[in-house]
Order: sequence, then C-alpha cells, then structure tokens
Amino acid sequence: MAEPILEVSGVGKRFGGFVALESIDLTIAPGERLGLIGPNGSGKSTLVNCLCGTLRNETGRVLFDGHSLDGLIAHERTRLGLARSFQLPKPFHSLSLIDNIRVPLLYTVNARHGRRLSAAEVDARCQELLREVGLADKARRLPRDLTQVEMRKLELARAVATEPRLLFADEAMAGLSPSEIEEILAVLLRLNEQGITIVLIEHIMRAVMSFSTRLAVLVAGQKIADGAPQEVVRNPEVERAYLGE
Amino acid sequence: MRIGLFWIAAAAVGIAVLVLTRVFFTNEYFFFAAYVVLQYIVLSTAWNILGGYTGYINFGTGAFFAIGAYSSVVLHKLPALLKTFDLIIPQIPLPLMILVGGIVSGIVGLGTGYLSLRLRGVFFAIATLALAVVVQTLIVNWDFVGGSRGIYIIRPAKAPLGGGYIQYLYTLMMVLAVISVGIARWIERSRLGLGFAAIRDDELAAEAGGVPTLRLKLIATTISGALMGMAGAPLPYYVTYLDPASSFNLAYAVNSVAMPVIGGMTSWVGPIIGAILLGTIQQLATVTISSALNLLIVGLLLIGFVIIAPNGIVGLVQARRRARGERLQPQPQEARAA
Repeated sequence: MAEPILEVSGVGKRFGGFVALESIDLTIAPGERLGLIGPNGSGKSTLVNCLCGTLRNETGRVLFDGHSLDGLIAHERTRLGLARSFQLPKPFHSLSLIDNIRVPLLYTVNARHGRRLSAAEVDARCQELLREVGLADKARRLPRDLTQVEMRKLELARAVATEPRLLFADEAMAGLSPSEIEEILAVLLRLNEQGITIVLIEHIMRAVMSFSTRLAVLVAGQKIADGAPQEVVRNPEVERAYLGE
Repeated sequence: MRIGLFWIAAAAVGIAVLVLTRVFFTNEYFFFAAYVVLQYIVLSTAWNILGGYTGYINFGTGAFFAIGAYSSVVLHKLPALLKTFDLIIPQIPLPLMILVGGIVSGIVGLGTGYLSLRLRGVFFAIATLALAVVVQTLIVNWDFVGGSRGIYIIRPAKAPLGGGYIQYLYTLMMVLAVISVGIARWIERSRLGLGFAAIRDDELAAEAGGVPTLRLKLIATTISGALMGMAGAPLPYYVTYLDPASSFNLAYAVNSVAMPVIGGMTSWVGPIIGAILLGTIQQLATVTISSALNLLIVGLLLIGFVIIAPNGIVGLVQARRRARGERLQPQPQEARAA
C-alpha cells in the first residue's frame, strides 16, 4: 500500500462522562473512496470534527500526509489540504454564491506558499467551480434562493475550492431524492477522479455501497469493522448494530 | 485604482464641506453642532467595522471613546508633570494626541478582543458592557486625570489654521471622518471584508474555508477601538471640562449602535446616513426642545427601524432596487483584491 494520506491512531473524545470516540484507528490511502457508516450518535460527525480541528480530541494522534495535525486549528488544517462539507449546509447567507466560493479561494489557495491568483483568475476559478456543480447561472444569487440539493452542491463546491487532497463529505445527501442523490454521487466521483481522496459519511446504504471502495463502521464510538464493502455489510456485528439482536 | 479614486473623492468632499461651511456659517454654534455629527460618523463607522461587518455587537463604545479622551488629558498634563522633574517639553499638538489616543484605544481593543472573542453573540456584548464599567471605575479613581471631580482643560490661546479653536476641532474631526469612512470602505471591498462577512455569517464554515477567524476578529476589534479612541481624543478640548459621567455617557454607546442599525449595517454608507440623520435630529432637538429628549428620539427611531426596516435605510433602498429587478446584489464585487 502507498504511503497513507491520513493516519488516525488512538483518537478519543469525551463530552463530560459520555465517551463519544474511543481509541479510533483509521488509515486512508491516497485516492481511496471510504464510506464511513454507523447508527445515529455513533460518533461519525465527532470524528470528522476532531480530524478537521472543529473539536479537539483528548487522546491519539492524527498524521495527514506525514504531518502531525496535533494543535493545528481548523483553518490551518484546511490550508494543508483537508476539507469538509457540513452535515447541515452552512452557506455564508449574506454573500452571493460566487463570493461564497471566493472566501476559500482567497483564504486558502492564495494563502498557500508560492501561489497567488490575480483577481481575474480568482473570478474565473469561482465561475469554473460553480459550473462544475451546475450553479454557474446563479453566481450572483444569494444562498436563500437555492433548493436543498443546490445548497449541498454549494457546500461541496466551497469545500473543493480549497483544493483539498482529502475531502470529508458529511451526509451530503441526507434528505435528497434518489435522482438528486445520483447528482451528488456523480459530483463526488468526478472529484475522486481528479485525485481527491474522499471520505463519505452517509446513512443511505445504496449510495454508500455504490460509491465506496472501502467501508468503515462506527458503533457507539468504536470502530467495529473496516474492509471491503460487501464483506463489511455481511459482518454479523454490523448487522446486529443496524438491525438489533 | 477604484479605491485610490475613492480616497481622492472622499477627501474632496471633506474639503468642499469644510470650505463651504467656513464661508457660509459665521455662527460658532454651527461648528459645535457639526463637530458632534462628525464625531458620530467616526464612532458609528468604527462600531460598524466590528458590529456590522464581523457581527460582534459592542456596547463598550463609551470606554474606547473615553480612553481616547483621557489619553489626551494625560498628554495635556504631561509637560507640566515633566517640568517638576526639570524636563521641559512643549505642549503636545492635538493631531499627535489623536494618534496616541488611537494607539492606546487600539491596544485596549486588541486586548479586549483577545480576552473576549472566544465568547459569541450576546456573551461578547455583555463582556463589552463590563469593559465600559471597568474602565470608568479606573478613571474615577485616577486622581491625575481628575478622578470623579473631572478636570478643566484650557485650550491653547491660538488655533492653528486660522479661525477659532472650535473651527480647528471641526476640521480635525472632518479629517478623522474621511479617514474612517475610507478605511471602512476599503475593508468592505478587500479580502479582509470578505473574511469578516464570512465570520458574521458562520464562523465554523469560515474556519473550514481557511479563514483565520481569531486573527481577523482581533484586527476588527483593534481597528474599531482605535478609531473610537481617535474620535474621543479631541473631546477634552471640545468640552473644556471633562468628567467621567459625561465622557462615559450612555449616549455614545447607544448612538453608535443605533446609527448603523438605522442607516444600514452592511455598507459603509449606512453609518454615515445614520449619523447624519440621528446626529442632526439630536442637535436640532437640543436647541429647540431639550437635550434630555435625545435618547428618547433615538429609542423611538430604533424601535421603528427594527420593526419596519431591520436592514436600515441602505437595506430599504437595496430591497426596492431588487423589487424593481435592477440587480440582485448591492454591487458586483469583482473589484475585490485578490
């Protein structure tokens, strides 16, 4: 296996007396499409929050592309190439779509060493990113004019604007219709083809199964399975977690 | 380019107003009143950089304003103090005092920001209220600057630039107003302003987009505090008798919130409109009815605007434009610096 892009070892997180994550180990190879599943409250989002710097994990280490992420705050991790979309879309509601995309471009891409896009290049890149998710004709609109699926696409476009190498898509499809799910999946697959490693956190099994090359399962803050999707879903422990005894 | 042009235009407007008023108004009272309106343009613009752009409500305007005023008092008394140590220095000129007042208030703004910006929403607002109380207590107990008795400041006999001293103060405040509006507009159009807006809309998403939110918030509190301090620095020479009760007056905090809210918080134009409108009404009411009426007027207008036009006058205009289908956005923003 190639040098892993993300190496999570022993990550733990508590909220008071509640153990949200218990010593999670997870290794992700470059270019992988990892599905992260688990029942509600199993710690999926908490794990993403810890890896992206929104929350601080109390124990464990995270290596991203060989760099330790310990002590880095969220925007520093974003600049290293770790992006996320939020479970509930969090658009900048007073900014037009193009300015929504401009924020990560100016603050991430232009803040990295050795690269500085001109104003015109930033504009062109914003348009291109919006076009990739089919929102180009709404560039000057405000997020409140968007439908749910468009909001998710904006969320993804904003994450992709940071030019990440690893993208966490946190329930990017929850509440969407089957055809809308297909649209989002197509966007994610295209991003993966462009070389972005993707971790998909999702409840919709059909989407997860068709997308993932590997599946990891969290239950009550512990990773109980990790492997090829078909094998993982047949794992008796996973079945028990989802269907009960 | 466009920003450079704006500075030239703003300076030209400032100079034109200065010259015209100096030519057409011979009554000193006009300058007394106009000084207050200009001072409120500076204060509300400064408040709006943190409150409107970044979304952090500051009720401590009075503290930053008074810190500027009292730093001038210290500088005013400095030559006499040093004389007792046989050090002779000349009287410090007012523009230098304004600069020092700005620096001191800016540092206090930075410190306040560092201590309180981990607080969000209403908790930050409460912390700024607390700041005002703390600073006032310090000043009341500091005898060198007059303590609770207050202090008399004797204006220099001769005003620079010709005319009376009040015209000089008015001129300085006009310069400050042009500078603060210029800074506000520059921020609005820059990467910094975009980052501020992202913080205002959603801090988590801003961080995820690479925006160093803490650093940007510190920049906002520092600039905002510095401008408020600069607005306060000439105050001792304006009132000639400065005491904590008047320099920490609630009116400064209330007005600097109300003016951007009434004018519109998303644009640099809003605080100007609000300050001119409210400031002028207050000055007229002071002369014609009573000075006690001022806060009542502010209160009523504020309630009215919050109900009828929550986005202020600028918001009303933008909404009407949208309704006419002219443009969806207040302005296309391709001019943002990369």
